[in-house]
Amino acid sequence: MKLSIKGMGVVGGFGCGTDTLLSALSSGQCAPQNVSVKTSQGSLDMAVFCAETSRLEEFVNKKALRRADHFSKMALLGSHLALQDAGKLEEDHSRMGIIVATGYGATRTTYAFLDSFILDGDTFSSPTCFSHSVHNAAVASVSELLNITGPGLTVSQFEMSVASALLTARCWLEEGSVDSVLFGAIDEYCDVLGYCWHRYFGNRATAPHSMDPLNFDLQSAIPGEGAAFFVLSDDDRGGSRYGFIKDIRLGRMDQCIEAVDRGTTFFLGADGHKECGARYRRFLSGHFRTECYTPLYGSLPIGPAFDIAIAALSIKNGKIFPSPRGKNEGQGTGMGSICCVKVGDREELGMVTLEA
Amino acid sequence: MSPGAVAITGMGCVCAAGNNLPECMESLFRGERNLGVPMRIVSDQATTYPVFEVADDLASLETRNTPDISRTGRFALKVAFEAIGDAGLDREFLRSKRVGVCMGTTVGCVMNNGDFYRAYLKGQDPDMADITRFLRSNPAASVAREFDLTGPCQTIVNACSSGTDAIRIGALWIKSGICDIVLTGGADELSHVACNGFASLMITDSSPCKPFDRDRKGLNLGEGAAMLILESEGVRRMRSKEARTFVLGSSASCDAYHLTAPHPDGRGLRRALKEGIVSSGAEVKDIAFVNAHGTGTQDNDRVESRILHEVLPGVPFLSTKGYTGHTLGAAGAIEAVFTVACLEQGRIPKSAGFSSPDPQLPASPAGSEMEIRGSVAVSDSLAFGGHNGVLVFGTGGDPT
Repeated sequence: MKLSIKGMGVVGGFGCGTDTLLSALSSGQCAPQNVSVKTSQGSLDMAVFCAETSRLEEFVNKKALRRADHFSKMALLGSHLALQDAGKLEEDHSRMGIIVATGYGATRTTYAFLDSFILDGDTFSSPTCFSHSVHNAAVASVSELLNITGPGLTVSQFEMSVASALLTARCWLEEGSVDSVLFGAIDEYCDVLGYCWHRYFGNRATAPHSMDPLNFDLQSAIPGEGAAFFVLSDDDRGGSRYGFIKDIRLGRMDQCIEAVDRGTTFFLGADGHKECGARYRRFLSGHFRTECYTPLYGSLPIGPAFDIAIAALSIKNGKIFPSPRGKNEGQGTGMGSICCVKVGDREELGMVTLEA
Repeated sequence: MSPGAVAITGMGCVCAAGNNLPECMESLFRGERNLGVPMRIVSDQATTYPVFEVADDLASLETRNTPDISRTGRFALKVAFEAIGDAGLDREFLRSKRVGVCMGTTVGCVMNNGDFYRAYLKGQDPDMADITRFLRSNPAASVAREFDLTGPCQTIVNACSSGTDAIRIGALWIKSGICDIVLTGGADELSHVACNGFASLMITDSSPCKPFDRDRKGLNLGEGAAMLILESEGVRRMRSKEARTFVLGSSASCDAYHLTAPHPDGRGLRRALKEGIVSSGAEVKDIAFVNAHGTGTQDNDRVESRILHEVLPGVPFLSTKGYTGHTLGAAGAIEAVFTVACLEQGRIPKSAGFSSPDPQLPASPAGSEMEIRGSVAVSDSLAFGGHNGVLVFGTGGDPT
């Protein structure tokens, strides 16, 4: 079954909305912010692609957001933008399902909950922080505010989260339990994550201000955060301006690549991590055209969702945008299928293929 | 047999009731409730909340491809070994098929190591081993890595319905032809974070929990895991394997009402129950019993009793959380294997902790062990976030 992309909503280091993502694609530019990371040697500056959610107030009353954390706000903003884009914001959502993929969940609130009892004692544990720290809090907030009463699901599979969760979205549509799925992916930056980057990557974590993801000898990853939401349906009447998700594969690299048609363009999820970047090397063999857009949104487990958004924008605009870090080797210039690829730490592969 | 039925060919379970599924079932029918003061969690709460803790430290678990992983991950592996053995499968056969893993959890995906974070707050440089362990302890990935499985891998984090939702998705993967075999279930360990969280919400009982009872005061937390082996008809016939029973149908819904409280009219649960039964092809008269979510909290039991009475009037139901505690992301899976085992045995145990009917509830659970009539059973879960999940199991009509 092909999934028709009816609408999209994105927020990330590039800004908010598909227009800002399109601008970043056209210019090839996106500047990270400097954030302070607390370490045992004092504070360090680290570049981070941060997401800003103030546009959410265009859709949701401030009062309704008083307890929403950054993670849920990104989810709500992405959801509203996607449904608005699909013309389904005001529709009945009783036959809509919602799925969110996330690598780490609501980490800021998770640590805020720990603060509440580490600093003040177990008796003072914050019930609000606890209930908002559960991974499915974002789905709960979105379903409540948009009255989505079909099935709800949150998936956490690190780098494979997006491909894995999409597989289930397709199953729901095949099963007929829903007419459409609001599919989203969210990850957020937090202080502890920044500290972990500092510890794992040392000075390499704080030095770069631009990513060079296809230089596999260089650790150039910059953490990112954001959300990408899609309204998916199996209804292909009237075509789809963003194209269709025609295939979703998870498995060993060899198995997955064998199934790819010549003429496919790969969007590589290489995100500047030296250790795993080299796993993408075989895609640069020259048989396929390859592009890599991670320098526009950063390194985060749900990065493939942004690649899917970029693929959909490419289909809508009838062109493949050049990679922010310059031209890549490879054959093909036409608009065939676009395959968004992410390699996991077990060298498993998640592949999502779109076509016009 | 329902055309969409998916065969269950193996099961495994570990929880406070026992170290494997046969032990658990014997314990349930003996009426044992193995709860006590937490042994692995130190708390300065003014009240001590008893828990259902697994005694086994899992040190004897013999793995081939697994590095140091969390207790949740090891729970998942333990039940995987049991279920794979029960199904008569081995590593080599599994590697030759499209085998997926779909697991539910809550604690298993949360980056909340207290020791690490305390040291970080003090400005020290804590050992990164805790974070590295977290990164390699994803329950579904842990099982896939140990058995070298190459199919889809998915960890569901839908709070307390995670296990139920994982089994539903595993069955969908078989029905859609994505997988030949799916290892599916749920796993969760007791954690300081969850203990404090539920205490802060004032929904934990300082005495043994009493689901659906007039004097219920809340839940007891527990830990454990359960796994089911789901198998396509093609593979099952090829190896002439008899099914233990079938997943006949399933469904899920959102209340779209509140983060921690169920919809007062139970609209999401009503929908999930009705759709689940329709999807199974069964009729209400076929349903032998319901293994309810039955946490022992005021809100959950009130809504669940009302909806069970309305949708499945007269059908016996019970809660097994009085034997296991609320095992969060594992609960739906543990209750699923108990449901199947009870169907096989033709009886259900007493709903532990229930003694006094609540006049506010329209229906009460089984007050004693009872024989069941019918070949279909239902297990349901309600979760934070307003998620509802329903699984329908049935023994009838195995064509082999």
